[in-house]
Amino acid sequence: MPDRVNKAEITCTVNGETLSLKAYPMARLLDVLRQELRLTGTKEGCGEGECGACSVWIDGEIANSCLVPVLQVAGSEIKTIEGIATGEQLHAVQEAFISCGGAQCGICTPGMVMAAVNLLERTPHPSETEIRMGLAGNLCRCTGYMKIFEAVVRACQATGVKA
Amino acid sequence: MTMPASRVARPSTIEEAVRLLADNGPEAVIIAGGTDVVPNLQMKLFAPRVLVDIKPIRVLQGITIAAAGALRLGALTTLTEIVGSPLLQASYPVLVSAAATIAGPLQRNMGTLGGNLCLETRCLWYNQSHFWRKALGGCLKKDGDVCHVAPGGKRCWAAWSGDSAPALLTLDAEVEITGPRGRRRLPLAQFYLNDGMNRIALGRDELVTSVYLPARTAGRRGIYHKLRIRDSIDYPLAGVAVTLEVDRSGVCREARVAITAVNPAPLLVKEASEWLVGQRYSAELVDRVAHAAIRTGKPLTTSASTPVYRREMVRLFARRALEEAWKNGNA
Ligand SMILES: Cc1cc2nc3c(=O)[nH]c(=O)nc-3n(C[C@H](O)[C@H](O)[C@H](O)COP(=O)(O)OP(=O)(O)OC[C@H]3O[C@@H](n4cnc5c(N)ncnc54)[C@H](O)[C@@H]3O)c2cc1C
Ligand code: FES
Ligand code: FES
Repeated sequence: MPDRVNKAEITCTVNGETLSLKAYPMARLLDVLRQELRLTGTKEGCGEGECGACSVWIDGEIANSCLVPVLQVAGSEIKTIEGIATGEQLHAVQEAFISCGGAQCGICTPGMVMAAVNLLERTPHPSETEIRMGLAGNLCRCTGYMKIFEAVVRACQATGVKA
Repeated sequence: MTMPASRVARPSTIEEAVRLLADNGPEAVIIAGGTDVVPNLQMKLFAPRVLVDIKPIRVLQGITIAAAGALRLGALTTLTEIVGSPLLQASYPVLVSAAATIAGPLQRNMGTLGGNLCLETRCLWYNQSHFWRKALGGCLKKDGDVCHVAPGGKRCWAAWSGDSAPALLTLDAEVEITGPRGRRRLPLAQFYLNDGMNRIALGRDELVTSVYLPARTAGRRGIYHKLRIRDSIDYPLAGVAVTLEVDRSGVCREARVAITAVNPAPLLVKEASEWLVGQRYSAELVDRVAHAAIRTGKPLTTSASTPVYRREMVRLFARRALEEAWKNGNA
């Protein structure tokens, strides 16, 4: 039988704010974000690393928050969908999802946006293949992907997409 | 799903990690990127008292040049780092080719090479929820005494389902293992035991610290092909890695073929080197080697696709990979 495990004190940065929180070490980052910090934008789809609905950035890299025991992010910098807009001003990717109809039920959308923004920060002028590869870890059961793809193309249209 | 409550220890040195493993014996489980171990914890395939998080151990990171021109990959090197490494792209393309097919981009950011080499074996009857397995009375590998894949036998056939191991086998890679008695190095081929229950030659108090790629296999042409249900993100159902050294006149000087996901271990196809070295390309020769590959593979009903299909795909991939590596260089 596992021992009684106490909550641990964990310091990390979430959307630019340094926080100190108490959580069970094996609580999933996903649950701590949603339940402790009330950041419910991050969604749970499969809970086993397959769908990307729970995508957040950990130290700048996109990751599945359902696969991370929270103690592993002690000292890390986390970004969630709540940290993407600037106040009331939506990010270009979010605007493009709205104008292209890139969201239907919306469960995959926060993760898709996290993946798309991450891609554009690394590769401001992605090729079509790079867009497809950048979103490859995020599943959508509604849109058939094309409108999501178009939204990402539109978001970087100002400077055009590589052939 | 939630995980069983465990303590999480975060050692910052190899020695500390080894001590934690030695002190806790079978009650300790290593976590690196967590992309394999966390889903398994959620399915209650194991419930360790202590999870030893090796990610804070700095010396396990990164790709460096080692003695005798070998390349050392730290156990914590992520799959994304491998795919993006210009050094590996130029010198060991087969590894990059294989790593690029592992899971999806998110898991490659988190997943490590050490974790990929120490994956749990996978089976249709094992990688299921606690509820599902209980309804069936368990299996040989977990909570039961019957193997549902081969009910008569006492052997577990859960498949080795990693992609980097076959590529590393074709590069004559070695693993470095560290335990209470210090470090040892083992040819990767000896690391795998071809037993679904006891998959790797790693003591309870040991961890994989590095992988070494020898200088002599640098520059070999190579490619990896893999069968999976979803091409964007999935474990292999069959996979073939090939490396070749071909001289200017088109004669093969060195050759390795390795297969994965069709046995409880990734395996070298022994006949490949023997039959290919000294030869020029011919479709018949490649066919013969591809046939040897399917004789080495023993796919059973460990996954949702049929063994016959997976065997035929091993043949096809072996033929295709050999052809590409021979004719187009790094394909
Ligand atoms: C949706 C999904 C799809 C996937 N698809 C693939 C795929 O296509 N191909 C593939 O190969 N893998 C796949 N994986 C598994 C996984 O992402 C990779 O294999 C990854 O490389 C595992 O590394 P990790 O650091 O996350 O391992 P962890 O989960 O941290 O560990 C895996 C195992 O290795 C042990 N371990 C870890 N590091 C060490 C070490 N240094 N020494 C000793 N033992 C160690 C752990 O105890 C555990 O048993 C998939 C996972 C998911 C969730
Ligand atoms: S909820 Fe995390 S990947 Fe599906
Ligand atoms: S909009 Fe429903 S899953 Fe993508």
